[in-house]
Amino acid sequence: MTTLALHGLRKSYPGAGQAAVHGLDLTVASGSLTALLGPSGCGKTTTMKLIAGLLTPDTGEVTLDGSPITPLPPERRGVAMVFQNPLLFPHLTVAQNVGFGLRMRHLPPAEIAARAQDMLARVRLDGLGDRRPSALSGGQQQRAALARALVLQPRVLLLDEPLSSLDPGLRDEMRALIRTLQQETGITTVVVTHDQSEAVALADRIALMLDGRLAQHGPPQDFYRRPASQAVARFFGGTNFLPGRSESGQFHAALGALTLPPGAPEGAHVLTIRSEALRLRPGPNPVSARIDAVTFLGTQTRVTLTAQGVTLQALTTPDEATSLSVGAEVTVSLPPEALWLLPVA
Amino acid sequence: MTDRSRIALMLAPALLVLGGLFLTGLGLTLLRSFRYMPALGLTEPDLAAYTAVLTAPGFLRSLGLSLWIATASTAIAALLAMAAALLLRQSFPGRALVSFLIQLNLTVPHIVGAIGMLYLVSQSGSFARLAKAAGLIAGPQDFPALTQDPWAIGIILLYVWKELPFITLILLANLQALGEDHEATARTLGATRWQAFAHVLLPLMLPGLMAASALVFAFAFGAYEVPLILGAHAPKALPVLAWQAANDTDLAARPEAMAMAVLIAGIGLVLLALYARAARSRHVD
Repeated sequence: MTTLALHGLRKSYPGAGQAAVHGLDLTVASGSLTALLGPSGCGKTTTMKLIAGLLTPDTGEVTLDGSPITPLPPERRGVAMVFQNPLLFPHLTVAQNVGFGLRMRHLPPAEIAARAQDMLARVRLDGLGDRRPSALSGGQQQRAALARALVLQPRVLLLDEPLSSLDPGLRDEMRALIRTLQQETGITTVVVTHDQSEAVALADRIALMLDGRLAQHGPPQDFYRRPASQAVARFFGGTNFLPGRSESGQFHAALGALTLPPGAPEGAHVLTIRSEALRLRPGPNPVSARIDAVTFLGTQTRVTLTAQGVTLQALTTPDEATSLSVGAEVTVSLPPEALWLLPVA
Repeated sequence: MTDRSRIALMLAPALLVLGGLFLTGLGLTLLRSFRYMPALGLTEPDLAAYTAVLTAPGFLRSLGLSLWIATASTAIAALLAMAAALLLRQSFPGRALVSFLIQLNLTVPHIVGAIGMLYLVSQSGSFARLAKAAGLIAGPQDFPALTQDPWAIGIILLYVWKELPFITLILLANLQALGEDHEATARTLGATRWQAFAHVLLPLMLPGLMAASALVFAFAFGAYEVPLILGAHAPKALPVLAWQAANDTDLAARPEAMAMAVLIAGIGLVLLALYARAARSRHVD
């Protein structure tokens, strides 16, 4: 069990205007599965390569259980990385691929073969060890790549977009496999992804990176209920933002005075409510609104409304939406417990 | 038009060239090597030309020389090309210039290069004169014999210089297609820099290297102009012997020239087949 920590990690590429990673501080708890989440170009992959030792930081340090690994070459860090593409070595069989790292450590061939077989069984590739990588399907190749890293029992496992090259049907299977193996082995694992739903479904904790900085780090629920900023809320699908002022439990904005949950901070803020928490019927904090659009999304229906010149979005069930028509006046409610205040900037 | 006839029509120009020029030429060469030349009154094919060539006193030495030239120049060019390709894959200041200089001599014909080599490194060449002017040697005869020499150093130098960029270009294209992620993966799996090269990059480069060096070997084994210009009087490389026999004023020497050409092609073919087989088995195990 190993705690991975990044201290003031910074990396810029020659020629690029701004740094790819600006002073990143992050502690990944021992034995946790953390998703490093962010849009493409936010510095996630650079961060992974800095942890793996494939890149050298301009400043800052990577530590495992408090000891710095930044001066060590990749092969001496105990950090295994699985890339977005499986990158199996085409000149080796599947079993030889899985045994590759053990062979580099000069383990006895019989032990390498036994451990590779065992690991192949754990990723459900038993009997395919003698095949060439090209004879495996995409999903099987990805599982073999995972086995090749896990067989080394690394202190830290890095997975770069492990699901993005798979068909949707295979993703759930692979996600469950990663989750199971991570829990069985207890290896501290960081998964890079750009897909927030994937991060939520997979990880214990999410570290959201925006523009090379850590925007928020915590359990997945926090990103919906307690986002740290408007940017975080927007990344997680937030659409309702209302600037105003919090004073003695009331929020004064274009929609009038809204009752806030107890303990809400005072002063100028931006109020947010998730579109699935906004109720399309009278209740606490009632507001009258006009329906502008009703969009059927499959399992949900999105209702766009205007209230006092403010655009709001609500998500509801298709059944509930059948009674709604564009242009109709309705009373919606904003339950106080669903309201959350964000800093203005 | 059916698919078959469309394919036949599209292949026709290539087949015409292949059939009309290459196969006809090959057929005529074979016929003449068996001493079937009705114009000279030879209508009974026999193996006399082959017997004469194979039992001629210098044949084995010439064959040995040709094999030496082809093997040495291919091996040296392949090694240097690999180093050059690995270097050029990285980005460094002046990379474009180095890359340009390496590719520049692709445009120089072999024969021009050979004459240039003669001017530069022969005992009466520029380097010998510079060495004398600098007081390093007393006279031209003290300069090491690099042309018309028994080890064919001049010929090998020229082939290395000429074929190096060719192999480099093929390897570079190969490396660019491979990318660097396989090595990075190997490193995070515990391979040192050297292990990642030996166990991952080198095996991945090998098919391209084998294919490019096979082409270079076949060329260096069968071409006559460079050994003609830079080679010693004896032994002569096989292609030079064949060329001289083919130009002999005695038409009776023609079948021997043809037999030699057939032997050169045959030996080259057998060696390449063995090589391809070795490459395949290496790739499979």
